[in-house]
Amino acid sequence: MTGTGLYAALTAASHCAAGCSQKDLVWQSGKLRLYRYRPIARPAGRAPLLIVYALVNRPYMMDLQEDRSLIRGLLAAGLDVYLIDWGYPDGADRFTTLADYIEDYLAGCVQWILQTHRLDALNLLGVCQGGVFSLCYAALHPRRVRNLITMVTPVDFKTPADLLSKWVSKIDVAAWVGDGNISGDALNQLFLSLMPFRLTQQKYVDLFAGVPDRARIENFMRVEQWIFDSPDQAGAAFREFVLWFYQENRLMQDRLEIAGRQVELRDLPLPVLNLIGKRDHLVPPDASAALRRLVGNADYTALEFDLGHIGMYISARAQRDVPAAIAGWLATR
Amino acid sequence: MPDDLWRQWQAFAALWAPAAPGTQASSASDGSFGFAPFIDAAERFKAAAQTFLDGAASGSASAAAAAAQNLSDFLRDEFADARLPWNAGFGPGVGARAQRSSISDWPALGPMREHQQRWQRMTEAGRRIDDAQRRLQRLWSDALRQAAADFAARLQPPLSSAADAEALRKLYDTWIDCAEDAYARTAHSEAFCNAQAELVNAGSQWRQELQAGIEHWAKLLDLPTRSEINTLAQRLKSIEEQLRAAVPAARAAAPRAKPRVARRKSSPARHKGVRRKAKR
Repeated sequence: MTGTGLYAALTAASHCAAGCSQKDLVWQSGKLRLYRYRPIARPAGRAPLLIVYALVNRPYMMDLQEDRSLIRGLLAAGLDVYLIDWGYPDGADRFTTLADYIEDYLAGCVQWILQTHRLDALNLLGVCQGGVFSLCYAALHPRRVRNLITMVTPVDFKTPADLLSKWVSKIDVAAWVGDGNISGDALNQLFLSLMPFRLTQQKYVDLFAGVPDRARIENFMRVEQWIFDSPDQAGAAFREFVLWFYQENRLMQDRLEIAGRQVELRDLPLPVLNLIGKRDHLVPPDASAALRRLVGNADYTALEFDLGHIGMYISARAQRDVPAAIAGWLATR
Repeated sequence: MPDDLWRQWQAFAALWAPAAPGTQASSASDGSFGFAPFIDAAERFKAAAQTFLDGAASGSASAAAAAAQNLSDFLRDEFADARLPWNAGFGPGVGARAQRSSISDWPALGPMREHQQRWQRMTEAGRRIDDAQRRLQRLWSDALRQAAADFAARLQPPLSSAADAEALRKLYDTWIDCAEDAYARTAHSEAFCNAQAELVNAGSQWRQELQAGIEHWAKLLDLPTRSEINTLAQRLKSIEEQLRAAVPAARAAAPRAKPRVARRKSSPARHKGVRRKAKR
């Protein structure tokens, strides 16, 4: 591919939209949207699966394109998939707290699904920070969750490899946030500076030096869109998340309260599947694996994949292994 | 090197660093499009790599070592001025400008006392920002020096003397590995974490003082301030929460309506009737 061809291919791919599976908006509250994906296979007869994504970045990473879509893999396994899109917080959302996100928004989605299906409990899949929310919700409402799946979810925020935790440990987060929101661009800078040489340079070299294939460039551009399409973070929730989890590690110390209620993960009375990326630079494997110590005697399964944080969503191996692992685990419960 | 590969190599250089001040983007007509401002970086890399490969292939151990040192020094210099997160939020010289201001030493007396103290706090925060940026930049430089030393140690002859795409790519990847390892060691260090926290904390204080000053003048002009809007937003949120809590309680406390009445009120036929009436 010549310079001209490369430029043209990148320009054309700039307009590629992420997201491939058909879905319907079924419920909304404020900026939150709850989507239900249309089935593509015979129903497996399991309880609906609600995917809770992180507030950082957008949830379409779960359904990037046809050959890079965990959601598509789950649909192909016959699961009934719902997804929460938290939206883009603005200045009016600056006082939205973690309690609002978990006990109002997430709880509202669960309530809607359970009422619609006339069920007592559903399956919950929490991704990254969404996994933390899911753990909190499951601990507060164990009867409403049949099975809990956490994916690249930090639990112990004080592991030696956790660079983010070290960086924020001495930051005055209340002063940092003030009464405002935290800019998504600022967070992006932070994430890029975890591995600046690879994330700001080498990956582009890989793009240009690799096979000049249109599909590959389009895939790259969709991921690029996802990486830099970063919503601002509601100030109050961000402050609580950094303080309670990163700085005080409350989850590990059994002293986390959401909306005045203690989050008790010990002896969580429901099956837990924990999916861990062994090469995850954002959520080190030890930070996720600590969940075993917290949930005590629960029906706990941990599966490790030789993948990084983003690879867990979109790598070819993830497409093959992760949905199958989830569907297989759910099938036995 | 085949033209296509060289073009690709030039293209990736486009993403190495932001454009130098005064550099002009080329037009589409020269074939390099928006990548042109950065092609110099790739040219410099190619020249440095070629010099290294020539030296490494000379057969002399001392020449090979010198060539490796030169290439690693070149890479260290190339990355020394990279735009880093700690420089993104504040332009250089926030503190330097503040240090020049003599007001920072004056005792705060008289009617302007509060303004002067705010200005002094801002000045102090600016000085801390500047200091933290310098500490971070020094640590970054140390990491690059270590990366360059590791890189030089990893370059083992015999190497091909031809600067083909594969050789360039191998050199580049080795450099990235060394740089990332050295940076990780620095980034995990106490000194780096302290400097970064100090930068954020000082930046927060600087912004807070600036906001307070702007709000003061806004109030004099009877303009709405962020603080007023925040107060209203918090009141509204509190009312919403009270409402959410009150509605279920009110529903539970309310006497149950007679089923027949309730059915009629919600029956589609009744709604149709209403619509028909409205039409008439």
